[in-house]
Amino acid sequence: MMAKEIKEEVYNCIKCGLCLTPCPVYKQLYFEAASPRGKVQLIKKILEGKLEASENFHRLLFNCLLCETCSVNCPSGLQVDRLMKAMRAELIEKFGLAWPKQLLFHLLASDRLLPFFLTWGRTLGNTVLSLMPQRSRWGTVPYARLPRLNRKFLRHQYPEIIKVSKPKGRVLYFTGCATHYFFAGVGRAVIDILQRLGIEVIIPREQMCCGLPIFLAGARQMALRNIQKNIELFNRQDVEAVVVDCATCGSALKKEYVHILEEMGESPETAKALSRKTLDISQYLERWEVEPLLRPLRARVTYHDPCHLLRSQGVKEEPRNLLKRIPGVEFVEMAGADVCCGGGGTFQWEHAEVAFGISGKKVETIRETRANLVATGCPGCRLQIYGNLGEEAVEVVHPVELLARAGR
Amino acid sequence: MPMLSQEVRQKFSSIVGPERLKTSPEDLLTYAYDAYVLEYLPEAVLFPKTAAEVRQIMKVACAHKIFVTPRGAGSGLGAGSLAKRGGIILCFTMMNQILEINTANRYAVVEPGVVISEFQKELEKLNLFYPPDPGSATVATMGGAVLMNAGGMRGVKYGVTRDYLLGLEIVLPSGEIMNTGSLTAKDVTGYDLTRLICGSEGTLALVTKIIVRLLPKPKSKRTLQAIYDRIDDAGDTVAKIVEAGIVPATLELMDKMIIKALEDFAHLGLPLDAEAVLLIDVDGDLETVEKQAALVADFCKSQGARDVRVSQSEKDNEQLWMARRSAFGAVARLRPTCVIEDATVPVSFLTRAIKKVIEISERNRVQIAVLAHAGDGNLHPLILCDQRDAQEMQRVEKAMDEIVDYALSVGGTLSGEHGIGIAKAKYLPKQLSGAALEMMRAIKKAFDPQGILNPGSFLEYEK
Repeated sequence: MMAKEIKEEVYNCIKCGLCLTPCPVYKQLYFEAASPRGKVQLIKKILEGKLEASENFHRLLFNCLLCETCSVNCPSGLQVDRLMKAMRAELIEKFGLAWPKQLLFHLLASDRLLPFFLTWGRTLGNTVLSLMPQRSRWGTVPYARLPRLNRKFLRHQYPEIIKVSKPKGRVLYFTGCATHYFFAGVGRAVIDILQRLGIEVIIPREQMCCGLPIFLAGARQMALRNIQKNIELFNRQDVEAVVVDCATCGSALKKEYVHILEEMGESPETAKALSRKTLDISQYLERWEVEPLLRPLRARVTYHDPCHLLRSQGVKEEPRNLLKRIPGVEFVEMAGADVCCGGGGTFQWEHAEVAFGISGKKVETIRETRANLVATGCPGCRLQIYGNLGEEAVEVVHPVELLARAGR
Repeated sequence: MPMLSQEVRQKFSSIVGPERLKTSPEDLLTYAYDAYVLEYLPEAVLFPKTAAEVRQIMKVACAHKIFVTPRGAGSGLGAGSLAKRGGIILCFTMMNQILEINTANRYAVVEPGVVISEFQKELEKLNLFYPPDPGSATVATMGGAVLMNAGGMRGVKYGVTRDYLLGLEIVLPSGEIMNTGSLTAKDVTGYDLTRLICGSEGTLALVTKIIVRLLPKPKSKRTLQAIYDRIDDAGDTVAKIVEAGIVPATLELMDKMIIKALEDFAHLGLPLDAEAVLLIDVDGDLETVEKQAALVADFCKSQGARDVRVSQSEKDNEQLWMARRSAFGAVARLRPTCVIEDATVPVSFLTRAIKKVIEISERNRVQIAVLAHAGDGNLHPLILCDQRDAQEMQRVEKAMDEIVDYALSVGGTLSGEHGIGIAKAKYLPKQLSGAALEMMRAIKKAFDPQGILNPGSFLEYEK
């Protein structure tokens, strides 16, 4: 059952419509049921028993990026995204999950299957991927532009505790699946810069997928073990912070765990403690003087705000500051940096046509900046932007990777 | 009126294609509301993209006597765009191209689905300016603005939608396409049908193309916040500013409750202990603006303003106005339902009218937050309630009756800019004489002899 305070939200929508124009999905489709206002009103009818939760409604509910733009723009203060997420959880029993999601989530929810599967994937998958027709696409992203699996997974490249002499600080590092399996370069950059600052980094071996892709699809029960295990591993008093390099994992640790446990009637206290400790890597680095470590790097750089960093966590200036602190970097703000890239996890694959339109606009604004580098702190955005750049000679990186480059 | 037959559906589908003909329960429910409190379920929603499609749709509707109600983004406040007697909704949101911006002759041609603020943003890049600025400008469409004759915050200096229309392309209920007006600022050829369509609430014809006149963008702008401990002083200031011949670009009044709701939403440091704030814009070339800003500030202080803050940057301006635009939504933080009154009085009666509203609210035990486009006497008392409470809604209705009676008693009007829709239809005979109503019905008949366009609207409303 949906929590009472979430249910009551539907009566706070005054239907002013201010959520329509900012909604990236509505702006592609231009019909009301695609808009946040439309979805809220439909949820209201379902909760009141005046509408059946049909297949069509189910499809509409998932025609949403969960980018949270409506929530931050709602003058009435409706937590639209929480309502939608709770509704997705309500429908999971009725509609279940499509088999590709079943498979994916089973992997992500398991501490054995995922490494096993991807270890084989590394030898077979990369090869298969390079044999695929390179112009064909997974959703909106051409196979040629999909990331390849790391030759050695990140956490296998380092000991669990990376000691430094006379540590100035000590952090836990939540690597997330994307960095661990695909973007090891991001992880190496994080560790490198922390080491050079004299900070001891602990990477708990048994950490699991943050679970966000699973519970945002509505499968909360399935994600519960991931949540509990991660809280158990990371809720420690003997560290300064839990640092995260992935916007999505960050929003899970910082915000979603608390909401989900509360709504499932579990105690959210340990999740709250973890939330207080969790920092995006760009936030954590604000505390330190990195300039002495850096040499000039000639680049024209623009920055894209990941939804899960800007709206979920309220992190806006820190990554920009980080980029501006690198000598030689010419920082240009793109128009609409805060507009969603159109990725939205599995959205870009389930609603490729809508995603195409949204990503197309994003790429256009990037082009207008004439930057040769786009920095963004989210592997999902990275995949989506890089996948839609076409033949453009623009590189997409994590801000920390640029920092590490300047540090060489 | 019969339900849509299979045959009619088929015909509609062959005109716009199955993708732009929506009939699922979910789609119909989401076109049953606007920003008002009532709901009416349509039988289908069609999204035309060209005038030719609209013509074909109307030919079918005309032949089969299907009711047709036009709609933009659905931000209206009086059920104007709802299918009050069933039939189909023609939704123009997908017909949304800016067709031409002509800098040499300073006009633009747009399709009805263009969102007002997006049009304004495009113009700004070319140093041009389309002034009408309803609170809902970031949602509302140009077509909706034309059919409702939308006003807004800049009315005091720049007027309303009507004042910028040069011409229209319309589709008559018979399906015939007709042009009104021209590309020139002056045009006295025949009856002014452009301005007849403007504000007709979609009862006469459908708009498929809009030609508006543009102004050069003012070179600079300042926003002032005058803070008052007494709402009466704020009201008096407004009347005195107008009397003194100072013409600010906007002159908005908000009371304590609005200030609190906006502060909760936008965190701008608005003074929570003040009883009222005037938000005042002055615009023009830099020199005039500086002079006027100082003049207005002194003026406010002399009328009892506790403090006058002048914005320091364009960003501050924008945030303040973004907050003001959110007022209607923001009051939902206080109560779930909000009914907006829109009665307008001659500006010298403003203070008395505000007092009257407060008195009415207390006597009827309803919560009313006062917002006003004060410079043109356009009150927006926001009546806060919960539509699930029938008794409370009765008191709300009584309070509305009394506000309307007061406005009419001092020479004002039922509605300054939101329109009649059905929200105010019952008051119509109070303001319009029998002869005037007859004339309006005759006009309606001339355009729409079958009565298929937006039926159940103000002229034929029955409780």
